[in-house]
Amino acid sequence: MKRAISKITLLVGMVLFGMSSMLSAQTEEYTLDGMTFGMPEAEVYTEDYNGSPVVGEYITQLPNLAPLDYEGNKHHEVRIDIIVQEIEVAEGVRYQAWTFGGTVPGPVLHVKEGDRITFVMKNRSDEEVTITEPNKGGSPFMQQVANNTYQKNKSAIMPMPHSMDFHAGTVAKDDKWRTIGPGETIKFDWIANYAGSYIYHCGTPSVLMHTAMGQHGVVVVSPKDGYDTGYEVDREYVVVQSEYYLTKGPGELYQYDFEAASANNPSHVVFNGHQTILHDQPLKANAGERVRFHVSNNGPSGTSSFHVIGGIFDRVWLEGHPFNEMRGMQTVLLGASSSATIDMIVPEEGKYILIDHEFVDAEKGATGTLKAGPRKK
Amino acid sequence: MRSLYNISLYSMLLLGMIAVELSETVNAQQTPRKLVPAGSYHSVLPEVVGEPVQVDSFYMDETVVTNEQYVKFLEEHPEWRRSEIPPVFTNDGYLREWDSDLNPGYENLGMNRPVTRVSWFAANAYCAAQGGRLPTLNEWEYSAQLLEFANEAEANKFSSKLISWYSGIDVNNLPEVGSTQIETTAGVKDQFGLIMEWVDDFKPIIADELSLDCGTVGRMQTLGSVYSYAASIRYITRMSFNAKITTGMVGFRCAFDQPAPASQNTQVETL
Repeated sequence: MKRAISKITLLVGMVLFGMSSMLSAQTEEYTLDGMTFGMPEAEVYTEDYNGSPVVGEYITQLPNLAPLDYEGNKHHEVRIDIIVQEIEVAEGVRYQAWTFGGTVPGPVLHVKEGDRITFVMKNRSDEEVTITEPNKGGSPFMQQVANNTYQKNKSAIMPMPHSMDFHAGTVAKDDKWRTIGPGETIKFDWIANYAGSYIYHCGTPSVLMHTAMGQHGVVVVSPKDGYDTGYEVDREYVVVQSEYYLTKGPGELYQYDFEAASANNPSHVVFNGHQTILHDQPLKANAGERVRFHVSNNGPSGTSSFHVIGGIFDRVWLEGHPFNEMRGMQTVLLGASSSATIDMIVPEEGKYILIDHEFVDAEKGATGTLKAGPRKK
Repeated sequence: MRSLYNISLYSMLLLGMIAVELSETVNAQQTPRKLVPAGSYHSVLPEVVGEPVQVDSFYMDETVVTNEQYVKFLEEHPEWRRSEIPPVFTNDGYLREWDSDLNPGYENLGMNRPVTRVSWFAANAYCAAQGGRLPTLNEWEYSAQLLEFANEAEANKFSSKLISWYSGIDVNNLPEVGSTQIETTAGVKDQFGLIMEWVDDFKPIIADELSLDCGTVGRMQTLGSVYSYAASIRYITRMSFNAKITTGMVGFRCAFDQPAPASQNTQVETL
């Protein structure tokens, strides 16, 4: 009896203690310099959800960027679930990737400066999720992956705790970027206060391991008044550079190589998640066109000296922010989790090679092709 | 929000203690128990400098609990069957891959392979039914590092492999218990290379104080060895669970304060 009483006392005590610390954690929305801060607390819960792992109108597969077809600001409802997929990263090299939405890098989210995003993410790492068949209610990303499964995805299971850290968001990380276990869902709001291209990644330690395993992607936040250029670009592409640290496992598959990751010695450095994808499926343009590249170096650990052989960057906005304009650059240096928005005039018909001019990276795969047709106008 | 979560965790822990008290019959089926001698070790959690964690001697199952053993438990404890278990003690995925309440479907899951997709509550109840308990975090970790290596290079090689293993456990094809060839000096098998395991205090109080970010592993692996890097990943993964979670990667073994009682067969012989 005594024991039962003490347990009840303990429970009541804990409830009271919990409530007192809960009150102090409340936040209120406020604006500063025209930006909005102070998001409601994240919710963590379990849900019966087995639908499309990526939901939202403005979410696409690399190198595509969804056009923003709305005036003013929008409140986006976005879901990007964590799923495990066996993928190909180079010919004959497959591993069990930890992914946002099923690909490495994850899907591209496009929003406008000032937009609000209600983000939902279920940790489905303990569930086989097929992403190669078209499914209802999904985003354009799902349809594009089903039509062009260049990583040759197979569903897999590897239950681990994970989290989401949007560099495009300005929030308290111990709330919004919280780690959730397999089967749990997290929901939180953030506002795209700053224009630019921002990476997102898993923030659960070892973050080096989680990002190297594939958990990263890009959010493109277009400036609300656009870039001050006086022209429209003809094409827009998103290019993400990242590293893999893989070694042959006991079976057919490759697996994470801790020693290589610690020594900063990637097995593959790639554009858009696959060693040859931007040669197998070159980006397209025509002579005389203006092409805009949203380039992000997602790391996890390397830098990128991004260059296009045969081109000069007409205008460059570092981090994609319209105030950070540079002109006439041959190479843009991107640190880990750094980006640039780059406009380039395509000079003439032919091939242009996108490359990390740190040649050791180029030889490990960080190259791609822009194929230009004849001048049309 | 986090404090709300704490409330639910604490109340779940209390419910767990009550649940354990409800089921205290001893199961006849025994896994050999190994005596883990008293000693000390360095945890990757913060500790007072120069004062390693002391661990008293205890007994631990030589191998983790198998599907077959878990069926025996369910036969005697219907309240823990998939169709009966109260939702406060588990998420939806409890024994998800099983054909039915008492039939794992051995052709897929194997008789002698570890039972997984069991919540901390269920693991706790199982061990209580054997007259034991889940090992504490310190007991489990102390036991795990009682490995012998020829030299430091060998130890580092082992630990690097361990990190790769944490990145790719093949939960659909788990090996049989006792098959990893990894055995401690006390004779405890498979603490690595098979599954991750529940421990009693998988989320120590300090878990709330540790900021989980890009530098956490670096701050935790104060021992400077590859092993402590691997251990940090294990600690962080385990403390990110809650007591209701069931995954294909997590099973358990039991710990005891006493040696195994003489088996019934032996008793018959002495009579």
